[in-house]
Amino acid sequence: MKKLVLHSTLVLWVCILALAGCSTAESTREATASDQAEARIIKHEFGESTIQGIPKRIVALEYSFVDSLATLGVTPVGIADDNKPDSIIAPIKEKLGEYTSVGSRYEVNFELISSLQPDLIIGDVSRHKEVYAQLNGIAPTLLLKSHGATYQENLSSFPVIAEAVGKKDEAEPLLQAHQANLDKLKASIPQDEQRTVLPAVVNAKGFFAHTSKSYAGSLLESLGLKDAIHSDEAYPQLTLEQLVEYNPDVLFLMKTPGEQTIIDEWSKNPLWGTISAVKNNNVYEVDRGVWSLSRGIISAETIVKEAIGQLYP
Amino acid sequence: MTATDAVTRRVFASYLFIGLLLAATGFIWSVSLGVTDLRWNDVLQGLLGGKETKEQLVISTIRVPRALVAALAGAALAVAGALMQAMTRNAFASPQIFGINAGASFFVVLFIVFFPGISSSALVFAAFAGAFMGGLLVFILGYSNDHRTPVQLALAGIAVSMLLSAMTEGFIVLYDNQTKNVLFWLAGAVHNGTWKDVHTVIPWSLTGMMIALLLSRSLTILSLGDDIARGLGQNILFIRLAVSCTVIMLAGSAVSIVGPIGFVGLIVPHIVRHWVGVDYRFILPLTAVFGSVLLLYADIVSRFISYPFESPVGIVTTGIGAPYLLYLLLRRRGRL
Repeated sequence: MKKLVLHSTLVLWVCILALAGCSTAESTREATASDQAEARIIKHEFGESTIQGIPKRIVALEYSFVDSLATLGVTPVGIADDNKPDSIIAPIKEKLGEYTSVGSRYEVNFELISSLQPDLIIGDVSRHKEVYAQLNGIAPTLLLKSHGATYQENLSSFPVIAEAVGKKDEAEPLLQAHQANLDKLKASIPQDEQRTVLPAVVNAKGFFAHTSKSYAGSLLESLGLKDAIHSDEAYPQLTLEQLVEYNPDVLFLMKTPGEQTIIDEWSKNPLWGTISAVKNNNVYEVDRGVWSLSRGIISAETIVKEAIGQLYP
Repeated sequence: MTATDAVTRRVFASYLFIGLLLAATGFIWSVSLGVTDLRWNDVLQGLLGGKETKEQLVISTIRVPRALVAALAGAALAVAGALMQAMTRNAFASPQIFGINAGASFFVVLFIVFFPGISSSALVFAAFAGAFMGGLLVFILGYSNDHRTPVQLALAGIAVSMLLSAMTEGFIVLYDNQTKNVLFWLAGAVHNGTWKDVHTVIPWSLTGMMIALLLSRSLTILSLGDDIARGLGQNILFIRLAVSCTVIMLAGSAVSIVGPIGFVGLIVPHIVRHWVGVDYRFILPLTAVFGSVLLLYADIVSRFISYPFESPVGIVTTGIGAPYLLYLLLRRRGRL
């Protein structure tokens, strides 16, 4: 019992100290910042954040935010790149300057992030809402949809990010330019295109379809193509039997280069040959980083260019 | 032959008949159920190996191996559980609770991470090594205590399982790209079962079950206690060693294909012992048959959880097995 009391007192003390630390840190920041510029209130998926002035040191905790920032010509000071610099796709990387990796997207490294002294953090609402308070203690934090978001949801985050980094006016023209680029690419799709397409992640343990609810699926649908699977689930796992039943006319297989996948196994089955995409030679291997991980304006245009290049050579 | 023996034989024969009937029905049901619409004629042709139409191909190349994988893995896991319960005289012994499943899965994930191109027949050996390590850890921890009780050993097993699962999950988080979709397999899944999997698992599970049957008489004696077994001239060390190897062979090969499906090895031997008593010559064949039955029907149920997409069959066996474990614990307490 004595021990319990001691422990709970200790825990309480730590909490009080932490709270005190937070509040003093915040008040000093407010005091200095208010001298520079007016405060802006940004609404995001998990509430509102007050941002003072123009953030210069931004930490992005998902690839999709890196894409948006790169589109706006901003290099984040820190990126959660899972310690794999190569996971940032080439067309985005060439727009970025120097940045520091802050480690995993799943296990947020608070110490590393706060050592960068950021003035804005952008996180994913599905992954980071549990740690919102801690992130907000380091710097004003926006949580936006990223993992499992559709193309449209992803686009709607863009103006929010633009406003947060003080480039509100640039958002609209950039979005229009993006739409114009897509429209130009879209022109090569014939009006009477009836084929269904199915992007899917394939690896050693399974085949994961990207339906009309997924990023790649909703992007292709926005061009007027039809995803072979319409479902509320974004990435259902399929058996060969189900794939044969959905019978897509085009397959985009996202894989990590060099990896063995379930397709090595399935392609030996005579049923594989009955799938329309296989029969008509419309199976394309694409890069999983571009098609599934990046999710943003730059990667969307890369995906569409690649898809159309394959479909209408 | 005593009168009770004759009664047991009759009970055994009738349960065996019922079990085989249920297994056959489950097999045909499993094979005829799925997203593709089929006529009975196709099912029949497909079962006979027909490969002419798409429907027959679906049956003969997808659904039959899937059902076979379920039946084989169910039998293997259940027999492994029965062997462990006999050897340790512990009602809670099963590959899942004694760290064997968790050890096998840990090694499988480890090998997938470090040798991405590894073949499934090589993964079986990784699973054997992991199963061995998991089981060994539990026995070292559980037996170092002089006042061991079945519950203590089970607790050691659960602690080791949790540690190994935590390490497995750690690897999954750290090596997201290679392992992300291993999660589905980790929950226990038979739906991607192929003929290759059947061929991989069949030699191990059949050999394992043969050895188990050969050992059944010794197991019965061993389950009466070490002193009695020694008095009856049994080489206890040899039997323990042989049984352990068989458990690793059965559980390891099953886990490497279908993932750590839980509770099959716990429930089935219990129910079967309830029917036919303590003689392992009767317990083991029935355990094998009803292990198949359990997993075949669990696999059928799992197809309806998020139809038309697949759900891991492990969800269903855990849904049945966890309450059963609680029931066993409560019953024991009632006896004390």
